[in-house]
Amino acid sequence: MADFNEIVDGTFVLSEEQIAIRKYGFSPIKASGTPTVYHPGDVVNLPYTTGEISTIEAIGLAWNAFASGITPE
Amino acid sequence: MAKKSGSSFGNFSELKKFQTKGVQPIRTEFSKGSVPDSIYSSNREAAWSRWRRGYEIYSNSTVGEVYSYPFNYRVPLPPGTVLPPGVNPPQIPGIFQGFPTNNKEFGMHWSGVRVAGSLRFDNLRGAGGIPAAIKSVTEDENYWYISLEGGWNAQNPLPPPLFIPPVIIGGKEIIPKQYPINGEILEDRVITVGGDVITSDTIDPTTQKRYGYLQAVLVSTDEINGVLTLQKQGSVESTPDAVFRTPAVDDFHVGRYLITGTRYCCSCQDFTRRDYSYMMNLGKGNQKVFPRTRPAVIKPGRKEIMTLNGKVNNNAMTSATVNRGMEVIAPSPEYDIPPTVTPNSSIDSKALRDNPGVFRDFGKTYTRNTPLPSLQGGVAEGPPNYEDYSTKQNPDGSYTLESLGDFWTPLLDELRYCKHIYAMKFMEKVFPPEPSDYPVETGSITQWEKNLVDKQNKDNEEAAYKLSRQGLSRMDVPPYNCQAPMMMPMMQKLFNVPSTFVLMSGFTMYDKNGKPYDPAKNEFPGT
Repeated sequence: MADFNEIVDGTFVLSEEQIAIRKYGFSPIKASGTPTVYHPGDVVNLPYTTGEISTIEAIGLAWNAFASGITPE
Repeated sequence: MAKKSGSSFGNFSELKKFQTKGVQPIRTEFSKGSVPDSIYSSNREAAWSRWRRGYEIYSNSTVGEVYSYPFNYRVPLPPGTVLPPGVNPPQIPGIFQGFPTNNKEFGMHWSGVRVAGSLRFDNLRGAGGIPAAIKSVTEDENYWYISLEGGWNAQNPLPPPLFIPPVIIGGKEIIPKQYPINGEILEDRVITVGGDVITSDTIDPTTQKRYGYLQAVLVSTDEINGVLTLQKQGSVESTPDAVFRTPAVDDFHVGRYLITGTRYCCSCQDFTRRDYSYMMNLGKGNQKVFPRTRPAVIKPGRKEIMTLNGKVNNNAMTSATVNRGMEVIAPSPEYDIPPTVTPNSSIDSKALRDNPGVFRDFGKTYTRNTPLPSLQGGVAEGPPNYEDYSTKQNPDGSYTLESLGDFWTPLLDELRYCKHIYAMKFMEKVFPPEPSDYPVETGSITQWEKNLVDKQNKDNEEAAYKLSRQGLSRMDVPPYNCQAPMMMPMMQKLFNVPSTFVLMSGFTMYDKNGKPYDPAKNEFPGT
């Protein structure tokens, strides 16, 4: 079970072989070390418990208030 | 019969190439010019080219640094709503991703991702606190009709944000019904209330097979009967073999809970359908009159203007504590989100696309082609159309605007992808389906693809060189640049809320070590 707010599934983690053979087309740019890779994420896990306002409820509250002329803050 | 050279497939390189000798490119304000050859334009504008170039960008981005800025956006609440201390705040996680480019003043296009699962239906409760699971699914040729648990009726309609009731004052409807979630991708990926979201690899412990799931666009909402209509066209299915299949042939699974799918937006010209004004692209003679508008580009249309305290403010960067307003000016409500959504918007029948110093023009719009006879309102992938605007002449000699080519036709999440978004989909291992508008060329098709890939690699290389020379300042990156005139419309689309809900103080960013920092509290990433 993932914790609140965790983005599940790292999408690309380069293997040692991939890091060793990577190159930038035909350019003379040389890369070394492990690149800083953030992934766009797969799925976020947001189980909200009783007493909390979930994102879907919060968006609903914001829209509802906004339709009555109250801007959320 | 003469013997063919090459292999049994013939020899592509010996095909005669059509030469448009002596024909000069047509240069316009938007386009740097192409030879008057519709096949050339069709190839260049094909969705397939975006898809193929996206793959190159993805491949290149695994080599060097990825300009990623993960964030968590805290959803603003109506005034007076107090969260008990220590509870989890309502938030939307996502990532801003920078793609180095030559074709922009600051050398970077910014794309945004709102990751899947931000809105979960297991948090929606009906009568008696029953969570809104999928109760039953019926279907016809074109749509799934998903009935939700919760005992919905006229007194107890579907809750916000699926449905916002109209505002009625004195028996008069001031603000009509709203359905903010229509147009989003929905996926059946939650099995139990509060449970993990399944991926294409998750295995059902009871059957030892993968669960599999579907994704499709929500096209309409029946708030009284609690029925959601999802479109089959463009739907994707992750099968028990972990293969993506489109369109989906299975049905949504009864008993599961829906979530919203991943949503992408980009600030590039292709996605926003706009051309920027550049100081740096002007010659010395023109720089002193910048910004300026050529009469040729004054066309009817819509534009957004960023304001601060009622004054126009086009600064590219702001402090993380400033919230600017976004004013939308459109020729008719049809080309705008309604004024109920963006309070600063206005309707001006003489509105133009030109915003001197920011945007130059929408240019011609690439649209999908022919209406599908099999599906009302649907259009097939095919050779592109180009639209701008059409007028009709009135008896008195004046002209009335009939249509604006200001919209691309919807696909999976109602937005068409640019090459940067394709790159992000490749990174996500969601191998996006290959678009069917494969370019045609009088010469060798393989050579054409090779040229396209070579050009893309050269562009990436040059942009990376240029960026390494110029560098990015701390203020050039999200969220400090998020209120720039080209970023704010993108942010509004990304979160799918009015721009007044996008407050800078809501952003928590994550640095390269995954450590959170709050720019509004003057915190900075670790070095």
